[in-house]
Amino acid sequence: MTASPSHLDLLEAESIHIFREAAAQFRKPVMLYSIGKDSTVLLHLARKAFFPAPLPFPLLHIDTTWKFREMIAFRDRTARELGLDLIVYTNHDGINRGINPIDHAPSIHTDVLKTQALKQALDKYGFDAGFGGARRDEEASRAKERVFSFRAAGHRWDPRKQRPEMWNLLNGRLGTGETVRVFPMSNWTEKDVWRYILREKLEVVPLYFAAERPTIVRDGQILMQDDDRLQPRAGEKVEMRKIRFRTLGDYPLTAAVESEADTIEAVVAETLNAQTSERQGRLIDHDQAGAMEKKKQEGYF
Amino acid sequence: MSVHALHKMKASEDSAPRLDVVPNLVRDLGGITHLLTCGSVDDGKSTLIGRLLWDASDLYEDQRETVRRSGRKAAGTDLPDFSMLLDGLVAEREQGITIDIAWKYFDTSTRRFVIIDSPGHEQYTRNMASGASHADVAIVLVDARSGVKKQTKRHTAILDLVGVKHVVLAVNKMDLVNWSEDVFRKIEADFRTLCWKFNFWDATAIPLSAVFGDNVTNPSTNMAWYTGPTLIQHLEKTPSRVSEAGSVFRFPVQTVLRDGQDFRGLAGTVTSGSIKVGDVVVDTLSNANGKVVRIATMSGDLDSASAGQAVALQLDVDIDVSRGAVLSVPDARPTAAQTIEARFVWLSEKAFSLTDGYLLRTSTDLIPISAIEIKALLDLETMASRPARACTANDIAIIKISLGRAAAIDVFSEIPETGTLLIVDSVTGATVAGGVATSVDSRAEAAPEGHFVLKRDMLANGLNRDLSMSSKDREEFMRRANEVAILLRAAGVAVAIEPPPPVDDGMDPGL
Repeated sequence: MTASPSHLDLLEAESIHIFREAAAQFRKPVMLYSIGKDSTVLLHLARKAFFPAPLPFPLLHIDTTWKFREMIAFRDRTARELGLDLIVYTNHDGINRGINPIDHAPSIHTDVLKTQALKQALDKYGFDAGFGGARRDEEASRAKERVFSFRAAGHRWDPRKQRPEMWNLLNGRLGTGETVRVFPMSNWTEKDVWRYILREKLEVVPLYFAAERPTIVRDGQILMQDDDRLQPRAGEKVEMRKIRFRTLGDYPLTAAVESEADTIEAVVAETLNAQTSERQGRLIDHDQAGAMEKKKQEGYF
Repeated sequence: MSVHALHKMKASEDSAPRLDVVPNLVRDLGGITHLLTCGSVDDGKSTLIGRLLWDASDLYEDQRETVRRSGRKAAGTDLPDFSMLLDGLVAEREQGITIDIAWKYFDTSTRRFVIIDSPGHEQYTRNMASGASHADVAIVLVDARSGVKKQTKRHTAILDLVGVKHVVLAVNKMDLVNWSEDVFRKIEADFRTLCWKFNFWDATAIPLSAVFGDNVTNPSTNMAWYTGPTLIQHLEKTPSRVSEAGSVFRFPVQTVLRDGQDFRGLAGTVTSGSIKVGDVVVDTLSNANGKVVRIATMSGDLDSASAGQAVALQLDVDIDVSRGAVLSVPDARPTAAQTIEARFVWLSEKAFSLTDGYLLRTSTDLIPISAIEIKALLDLETMASRPARACTANDIAIIKISLGRAAAIDVFSEIPETGTLLIVDSVTGATVAGGVATSVDSRAEAAPEGHFVLKRDMLANGLNRDLSMSSKDREEFMRRANEVAILLRAAGVAVAIEPPPPVDDGMDPGL
C-alpha cells in the first residue's frame, strides 16, 4: 500500500472486524437502529463488513411513537432502498396505559417506551446479541465499557461479569441465559462520526440541517412542534425559527439549536468548531458527579 | 456574507464535500497511537495525563473553563490542577468492574491518541496486562526522587510480555531535584540496564515536570542540558503496532460471505504482511490452497491488501475453508499446533482448576483443550521461574496445553498478531487468562491412558446424521464435535477429536 492508513481507515477496519466477530459467534444477532447519525454510520459499517453479501441480521427500531416524522420517513426509505430486514417494535402496553413524554417525567417515559420495550423485543425474538452505536467518549461512565458487553439473564449488567478484552481477541462464548451488546464504534469520537459522514457522503436525517421550523420555547429550550400532540401552554406560542438538531430522539424531549448550518459541510464545521461538548447535559453530569465525589470525600455518606 | 453562507455557496459549485472549508478539523488524522500510562498516583500519573490533554489536545473550551474555575491547584503550586481532566475516570473507578481499563481520546494536529488508563493498585498485573495488550507505546512514570523501583521492573516486564515495543520512561518531578542532570542520567542508566533483557525496539527516558509542563509539550527552559524531544514530540513519532506488523502474510478467516452462486468470500483482516491478486494462499490445517482472484471491499476491489485492512478474499477454487483457518503463503505457514506452551496472565478471580473445562481461543478459532498443565510461575521482578502446579489471579504462569484438534498458531515473538491466546471457561464462557505462545508443536502428545478419541464416523452416524457435506454443514459438524468434547472433558474424560481427512491438493507435501 502506498499511503499509510488514516485514523478513519483504522477505525473503520476495527469496526468491520468487530461486526464480523460478532456475526460469526452469536446465534441470532440484531442491530439496534435509532435512525440518528450514529446509527447511520453503524449501518454503513455493517454493510461494509458483509459486502457483497446482504446483512446477516435484521435491524430493530424501538418506536416510542414520538419520533420526529422525518425520522420515520428516513427510516422507512433507508430500509426500502437498501433492502434491509427492519423490525419495528412498540410497547403497546405502555401506550395503552397512556404513558407519554409530555405528561410524564422523561425518566418514566424512557423506561417504559424505550428500555422496557427493548427488553420485550429482544425476548420476543430471542436475539442473543444486539449491535449498538455507543461510543466510549460519550461520557465518563462509558469510558470503561467493553466492545462485547455482557448481560446476565433479565438483561442485567453485572460489572463483575464483564470480560477483560486483550489484543483483538473477542470472546463471544455465552454462559447460560447471557446475552451481549456489541459496540463496533467503541473507539470512535463525536468528531469522527461527522468526519466519516462527510468522507463517505452518507445521507442523514434532514433534521440535522438548519431550516425554518415551527417551535415552542419551554423551560428555556427550543422544541419543535412536529405534530399537534405538542401544544403551547399559557404564555407560550408557536413561532418559526431557523433551527437544527445535534441529536435526535423523541421530539418533545429533544432540544433544537438555532443555527444557519444548512449543508453537511456547515454542520460539520459547526460541530468541530463547537466550544462546548456535544451533549449539553454532559457538563451538568460532570458537575453533579464532581459534587457527589466531593461529598463522599467529605464524609457525607 | 456570513461564514455559513459562504460554505453553502462553495459547496454548491461542486457536489463533492469541500474538505478545505474547515481545515485541520475535517481531514483524516495520520494514524492512531494507543498510549498506556503506568505508574501510581504518587508518581503524578493523573497530573501528567491531564497536562498532556491541556497542552496538546483539542479540549473543548467548557472543559478548560471547568478546570480554571474550580480554583483547585496542583499541590504546592499556583497552577491549575490538570488531574481534574481525569476526574470522570477516577470517579468511575468505583463501579467495581473486575478488570478496569478506562479509555480517553484526544487529537493533536497530526494524530489520534488513545489513552489507556489502568489503575495502579496492587491488583494491577492483570489490569495492566489487559490494557498494555492494546498499546503501541507505554509511558512508565517514575518520581525523579526515587528513580527505578521494583514496581518499574514489574511494569516493564508486563509490557514486554504482551508485546509492547516502544517504552518511554517519564522521569517526573524534575523540579523537586533542582532539574539535576546527574539525577536524570543515573535513572536513565538504570532504565537502560533494565530494558536490556527485554525485546523493546525503543526505550527512551525523558526528564519532565508534569505540574509545570516542562518537556511535556513545551521544551523545558529549566533543563538546557536536555536536547532530546519533548514527550509529545516523541509520542507523535512513535509508530503504531499495525504499521510495524511484520512482512509474513497472515489472514485469520472470520466468516465466509456468500452472494448468490458467484461469490464466496473469505472475510477477515490482514493481521501481518500483505497479499495481492494472483498470490497463492494456503490453509495450514486442511492443506487446501487457492489463488486469490479478487480482494473485495464495498469501496471497490483492491489489487492488494496489507496489515490492518479488512477485506474479503475470493479464491479461484471453492476450497473448504471456514472460520478458524489462518491463510498464509505456502512457504511461510503458521503451525497446525496440537500442543503449545505459552505465558499466560491469569485474569480470573477463580483460580486454575484441573477439573474445569477450558477452551483455547486463537485469532478466530475456539478449540477444546484436552489436557492443560501449569509448569511454572514467573517472578516479574527477577524474571526467574519456579515450578508450580497452580495459579490464580495476577499470576504469570507458564502453561502447557494439548488441544482436542489442531489450530493455526504462531510463536508470539515471531508473528505476534497470530500468537495471542485466551483461555475460556467452557461453562461460563468467561475469559480466565490471556497469553502468548512461546512454542508450538504440530505433534500430539502421546495419548495418555484412557484418552478418548471422538471418531468422525461415530459422530456422523448419530448426532450429525442430519448434516450434509456442504461447507456450512461441515462447520456445524465441527461445532457439535467441539461441544461434545467439552462435555466429556467436564465429566473428566481426556478427549481428542479425530481430524478431518486431509485435502489432496496435488501439491508437494514437503511445502
